[in-house]
Amino acid sequence: MAVSGFEGFEKRLELQFSGRDPVIGIGLRELDFKSLEQVLHQVQCTVVSALGNQHFDSYVLSESSLFVYPNKIIIKTCGTTQLLKSVQPFINHARTLNLRIVALRYTRGSFIFPEAQPHPHTSFHEEVVYLEDNIPEHLCYRKASVIPSKLTSHSWHVFSAGAVEYPDGVPYTVEMCMTDLDQTLARKFFRHPNDGKNGDSAGREMTELTGISRININPNAHICDFAFDPCGYSMNGIDGDRYSTIHVTPEHGFSYASFECVGSVYNADIADMVKKAVKVFCPGTVSVATTNASDDMCMRIKGAVEQLGMKCRSWSMDEFPAAGTVVFQTFTTRRNIRT
Amino acid sequence: MGEEGQLISCHTVDAWNQHIRKDNNKLIVVDFAASWCGPCRVIAPFVAELAKKMPHVTFLKVDVDELKEIASDWGVEAMPTFLLLKDEKTVAKVVGAKKEELQQTIIKHSGSTSG
Repeated sequence: MAVSGFEGFEKRLELQFSGRDPVIGIGLRELDFKSLEQVLHQVQCTVVSALGNQHFDSYVLSESSLFVYPNKIIIKTCGTTQLLKSVQPFINHARTLNLRIVALRYTRGSFIFPEAQPHPHTSFHEEVVYLEDNIPEHLCYRKASVIPSKLTSHSWHVFSAGAVEYPDGVPYTVEMCMTDLDQTLARKFFRHPNDGKNGDSAGREMTELTGISRININPNAHICDFAFDPCGYSMNGIDGDRYSTIHVTPEHGFSYASFECVGSVYNADIADMVKKAVKVFCPGTVSVATTNASDDMCMRIKGAVEQLGMKCRSWSMDEFPAAGTVVFQTFTTRRNIRT
Repeated sequence: MGEEGQLISCHTVDAWNQHIRKDNNKLIVVDFAASWCGPCRVIAPFVAELAKKMPHVTFLKVDVDELKEIASDWGVEAMPTFLLLKDEKTVAKVVGAKKEELQQTIIKHSGSTSG
């Protein structure tokens, strides 16, 4: 393990809003780019690429991704970004559009380099204190919890707050973190010097060569990808009203890749997508956190990862107000029983 | 020609037909955008700048709600979508607010070495 390096593990924030009007229309998508840039500046990241469809807007950032739906914002950033500083500005901007926050969920894995994190991310306790101080009172159902696994390097941190106790018809999310990537596969995420490409075209090539383009079999899905210099890769997938996102830190010693997607009871393909994503990286360790997924879906995901020869090391869960049940599973390759 | 160096908005099917059928050997870049799409707003200033810097290329803008059929006929599903046309045929396509990719693709097809 390297002494220090780029932190691939992301911090993720999901904000749910609602308005007085039953039909929200374009809602948060109305936010002008200058306002978005201002918020991103506070988090220390910028927009690198973007793509939208009739349902939502997706942005590839210098440090991960941003998704803007009419009534929901999902922002995921890695490195040493101060993600929680976006909470107040997003709530304020939404207010100018007559939208009120009704739920918030903050999740992250365990940092590889926790000492490198700035305030308020120096500890989960500090993050929770910051959140409690910066969210409105009407989000009165709150809970913070660290879900453990048998691996000390892999825990799942969750803070959830909402105006109502039980989520209603919310799609489930799958957040997967992979470490100790196969080095031959990870090398595909390095730029070649003098390749005559730009970040967009190099990203497109990585998407094809690594099999990422084949994770979602829907031919109508679109991918917005980007390759960083000298290495690193990000992509957002848009498929109707569903997003998926992959981020890769390929360097040996702190290699990391994440895969996240959203599903509903109508999508039977999630377990298959998870399996394909793991195959792209052949990691030594996988953790999968699902929020609001059925037991059946969690079992299917477990089965899919085990089919690749990995062994499930732990299965833990916890209930959260406004978010639902979070199930956290960890897997390692049979050769790799490291803590 | 007062239109050179500008982004020309096509508001009607007639205007669209008129512009893409212009027989002047120019490369046409069409920006398919929607008013409610954030990524379109991200790249809009950059496209206007490109139009200014490359007067030998025709830049058209189409609102996908205003000209639904044209957007659909030309296979626009996600926004922004940039189509590069020559002789009414698509020679290249850039899907997404991809500045570098857009610039390099236009340069490649416009026969110029700088932008």
